Amino acid sequence: MDVTEILKSLTGRFPEAISEAIVESEIRARAYVDKDGVKEVCQYLKDSLQFDHLCVVCGVDYIKRNEIEVVYHIASYNHPVVLMLKAILPRENPEIESIVSVYWNSNWYERETYELYGIVFKNHPNLKPLILPEDMLGEWPLRKDYKGFPNKTARNLV
Amino acid sequence: MEERLEPNEMIIHLGPQHPMQPGPFRLNLRLKGETVVDADIELGYIHKGIEKILENKTYLQGITIVDRICYLVALVNEECFVGCVEKLLDIEPPERSKYIRVILEELTRIQSHLLGIGEFAEFIGFVSMFMYAIRERENVVGLIDMVTGARITHSYLKFGGVRDDLPDGFKEKTLSVLNGLKKEIDNFEQMFHTDRIYRERTVGVGVLTADAAKNLGVSGPVLRATGVPFDIRKNEPYLVYKDLDFKVCTETAGDCFARVQVRLNEIRESIYILEQCLDQIPEGPLFPENSLYGRRTPVMRVPAGEVFHRVEDPRGEMGMYMVSDGSDRPYRVKIRGPYYPTLQALPPLIIGTTVADVASISGSMDGCTSEADR
Amino acid sequence: MGEVKEQKTSTSDETSVEEVPGVITTTASAISDFLKKTKAQDLINWGRKNSMWFMTQPMGCCGVEMIAMGCAHYDTDRFGIIPRNSPRQADVMLISGYVTKKYLPALKRLWEQMPSPKWVIAIGDCSISGGPFYESYSTVQNIDEIFPIDVFVPGCPPRPEAMLQGFVELQEKIKAKKDLGTEY
Ligand code: SF4
Repeated sequence: MDVTEILKSLTGRFPEAISEAIVESEIRARAYVDKDGVKEVCQYLKDSLQFDHLCVVCGVDYIKRNEIEVVYHIASYNHPVVLMLKAILPRENPEIESIVSVYWNSNWYERETYELYGIVFKNHPNLKPLILPEDMLGEWPLRKDYKGFPNKTARNLV
Repeated sequence: MEERLEPNEMIIHLGPQHPMQPGPFRLNLRLKGETVVDADIELGYIHKGIEKILENKTYLQGITIVDRICYLVALVNEECFVGCVEKLLDIEPPERSKYIRVILEELTRIQSHLLGIGEFAEFIGFVSMFMYAIRERENVVGLIDMVTGARITHSYLKFGGVRDDLPDGFKEKTLSVLNGLKKEIDNFEQMFHTDRIYRERTVGVGVLTADAAKNLGVSGPVLRATGVPFDIRKNEPYLVYKDLDFKVCTETAGDCFARVQVRLNEIRESIYILEQCLDQIPEGPLFPENSLYGRRTPVMRVPAGEVFHRVEDPRGEMGMYMVSDGSDRPYRVKIRGPYYPTLQALPPLIIGTTVADVASISGSMDGCTSEADR
Repeated sequence: MGEVKEQKTSTSDETSVEEVPGVITTTASAISDFLKKTKAQDLINWGRKNSMWFMTQPMGCCGVEMIAMGCAHYDTDRFGIIPRNSPRQADVMLISGYVTKKYLPALKRLWEQMPSPKWVIAIGDCSISGGPFYESYSTVQNIDEIFPIDVFVPGCPPRPEAMLQGFVELQEKIKAKKDLGTEY
């Protein structure tokens, strides 16, 4: 499937939810997605455009713009195009719809993003910390204004 | 897991220290008799916050850190990281460097698969097989050691090339090791095919169908054992894989036996790739000419932008998403390890099986917890 | 304390249990304290140093080298050093990698489960000083304040030969009765 066709079909179907769709190269494309429309867009991608493989879900903290982005990379087992979808959230109380019901393996990615950035995924079946000890919940270590890094507990540190 | 147990149910915790994987994680199993009715995984026992550390290191220092994401495939991790930066900088390594990288990455694949096969055999009680596999692995690791000077953490790739050229006599040594390895692989295969206990513990155990596997999002040998020919080296060729002749190994059964068989075939395929590379490798410089990048890379600033680069790890699809803001440190690096989704797919697979099969199924995934935790 | 022998020791001055005429009461630790002063301890230490079974718990990159060390090529069996999977059967704990905040309680538990006498070897820069991850938010530094570490093997990762050398150093220490682990 051709990348321009994919984007055309996507923007044609969701004129409001998708914005700034750009073709980066033959196998990469990106678009911004409205935070309320993520689930429908993903469902459409999976059902109609053969995007059946979720690569990764992650967060990026843009502290200067006071925004957090959730970035989805969605690929396919059949064609080499990787689509990057970004949703912009505010830094205070970021909330977005979970896509576990569409892509099963987003479960752990969302849990991880939740504990590292504090992004709440609504309707997630089991949103609890995955890799951090429970008492570190609420520190959001991957945000840029996290205080505990670098760790000062080591002796002999200059 | 917390809700009340029914009569004759119990919970056992496997881990965090357990002989089943290289690396601690905890598997909570709820059993009814001997059957697993519920399973749940706890991670993070060796979470070291690599993504945060990378944000605070310069690009060159980052190479050292990405080595430690998964210690069995350090060179492939480096390839992914360096590939991201090269895409952002818009430089391309010269032919010879690309060939050297392919040679080293295929050697890495061989040694990782050998360890995977050996460990799997050990989990199901076939300890002598483990020793055979490690014996062969040592030879391959010795070859990598010869080029990079380290056994598992190399820091060998540089932006736009590789640190050192191949040493004298590398070709002859490699060919002799590979010839020995070919015989051993045939040997292993014969052992696996004829050992009745081994077959009973693996054939038909942990079956994954192609649709289920796609739905769970797994990749690598686990997916290929179900018959889906998904391989980044073919789908999205990087380095010189376009010019090389190799096939994607698949099996159709989707059980533990098929996964091991895929790994054995991939070792053969890697040997074939290595032989081609050693024949075709051109002479030439290691770094692009008329560029700043060389063995001693200057402190560099990378143009702002973002990139997602994928490579084929021995365990599946490895990707990195890098955001650069134009300074000398990456703004954000997200590591998409291949084992993370595979480990996530473990609970649905083991529900309904017996406790004895848990070791066999989880071993056939060929895990590396360090990379799932990062 | 497998080394307790049937031996008539006059430790009645230390025990405060009521005296029964004709019976000498004693305790295992009293016997072991007594033995430390005699030549018999040399014999015991000789036995201990030649059968140091270590617990396999790969925790990091160094863990892979630990596996390689225990296997065919480097073959620690010839020194009587055998990998065991259970802490209950092990004498030596190898801290082979980064200790995180989440793993530390489990590690302490494992240490408690090992029968004494027991020793710890810290392998790799991570367990000595934090290594490449000294500034990470989730690792624990200064492990030597938590466990009585006898031998430090630096390297990132140390080669299997270096780990073997670490074991040999530990044997020397046990022989010279200078180790920390025996007291545990
Ligand atoms: S010392 Fe180095 S090789 Fe060993 S666990 Fe730490 S980072 Fe890995």
